[in-house]
Amino acid sequence: MIWQTLYENLPFLLHGTWIALQLLAALLAVGIVLGLGLALGQVYGPWPLRAVGWAFERVFRGVPAVVLLLLFYYGVTDYVALSSFMAAVLALGLRSAAYQSQIYRGAIQSVPSGQMQAARAIGMGRWESIRTIILPQAARHAIGPWTNEFSSELKATSLAYVIGVVELTRQAKYIVSNTQGNILIVFGVVALIYFIVNRLGNSVLYRVEARLAVPGFERRSQ
Amino acid sequence: MLKQISAAGVLVAAMAPPAMAQDSEPLVAGVEAAFPPWAYVEGGEYKGIAIDAMRAIAEDQGLTVEFKDLPWPSLIPALAKGRIDLLVTGLNVTEERAKVLDFSIPWWENDDEVLVTEDSDKNVVTALCCGATVGAQGGATQHEWLQEHLVDQGVDVTLRAYEDYITAVEDLGTGRLDAVVTSTDTAEELIDKGRAIKIVGTIQQNQPQALAVQEGDPNELLAQLNVGIMNIYQSGQWAEIVHAYSPQASIRTIPTAMPDYVDSYQRPIPGYSE
Repeated sequence: MIWQTLYENLPFLLHGTWIALQLLAALLAVGIVLGLGLALGQVYGPWPLRAVGWAFERVFRGVPAVVLLLLFYYGVTDYVALSSFMAAVLALGLRSAAYQSQIYRGAIQSVPSGQMQAARAIGMGRWESIRTIILPQAARHAIGPWTNEFSSELKATSLAYVIGVVELTRQAKYIVSNTQGNILIVFGVVALIYFIVNRLGNSVLYRVEARLAVPGFERRSQ
Repeated sequence: MLKQISAAGVLVAAMAPPAMAQDSEPLVAGVEAAFPPWAYVEGGEYKGIAIDAMRAIAEDQGLTVEFKDLPWPSLIPALAKGRIDLLVTGLNVTEERAKVLDFSIPWWENDDEVLVTEDSDKNVVTALCCGATVGAQGGATQHEWLQEHLVDQGVDVTLRAYEDYITAVEDLGTGRLDAVVTSTDTAEELIDKGRAIKIVGTIQQNQPQALAVQEGDPNELLAQLNVGIMNIYQSGQWAEIVHAYSPQASIRTIPTAMPDYVDSYQRPIPGYSE
């Protein structure tokens, strides 16, 4: 019955999962690049850059993900041709950049300011100090909070179906409508898939975090 | 970790362009693929009366059509915005919609059914009055009808809108709703699939259904759609398609009644009466 249907539809659920993972990877990539730029601008930039970073972060953290998706799919595509997938990457990626910028800003500021002074004192330039002294430590501090961002963005991909990205949640909806019901069982299985992916991703990140922890900052004892 | 992530990013960048490549520019037909028997996905393929009929019309008229699935509340805005070129689903012809899009000749007629759980003691009157909570698909004609003819008239019902009717029927099962109103096709499909519900009354609407294109028909599709609809109807292909999904359904004469409020039906209809 429904279990049989679910078994037969497993390839499509997995395909939906694959689409969700592509979306996740792309939006996190947008978030890393832009988020890091914003964070550097906010900490070291001149005031106009700080203001832009501040405004960007406030706007994209202050608007719900679904609303951003709809704005990008129906609004931005008036000017630039974007597929549903790309619109979702942009909407969720820019939002992720706003969140990630705060992770990186915090991580950069958690490196004691004396290190910058020391680096400058031995003759390093400002950018060189940031690149070779501050960022390598900040990146390691950022892994922990970034794990959280990974989890929330994985879950946010499930919203992309509202603009026509056929990811895991939408594939599940197909099964529900074909069988005219079984919502609990189907979404139970989908919940399990999200949980497994999330768990796998997190355990990799925890391991990376433990291995790369800055000496003296080890936290997780596993 | 950084290496892994950038590898994934490259992978995505490599995979994204094909979705955007539109050299041959096929028409994009928006469907809500969670609406059997009209449009749904099974085994990874689009199926349903509207899907197969659209494929037959496309073949008849030499059009290339690809389907794009969007949730129901997004479909009409997507068409109005030109994100999709035509709308192919069990779309009811209404006055409001006629203002923002252009309909093909209507190919189907539907009534609405009042559904309650199998063991409910509600009848058609008590299911729609006296403190009953009634559900319908938000933005659907059933929801509008209930709002206009019951809620706005002061009838004591609580009306709830759902993104799709399946969640509404699920809520009926859990007791959060006393009744759900859906179209006849949907109601029959639900009962056919063994849901523990029954029909306690029919609201006769003679509600026509049609395909739709953007307001003003900028791509000049209506003539081809209308000719295609008449061709597959007259060749008997339409009846075959309908009966493949809904064996008991009686085939309506096409075009069905064309309501006065649809402005494009008052002018010569491209491909039908010109």
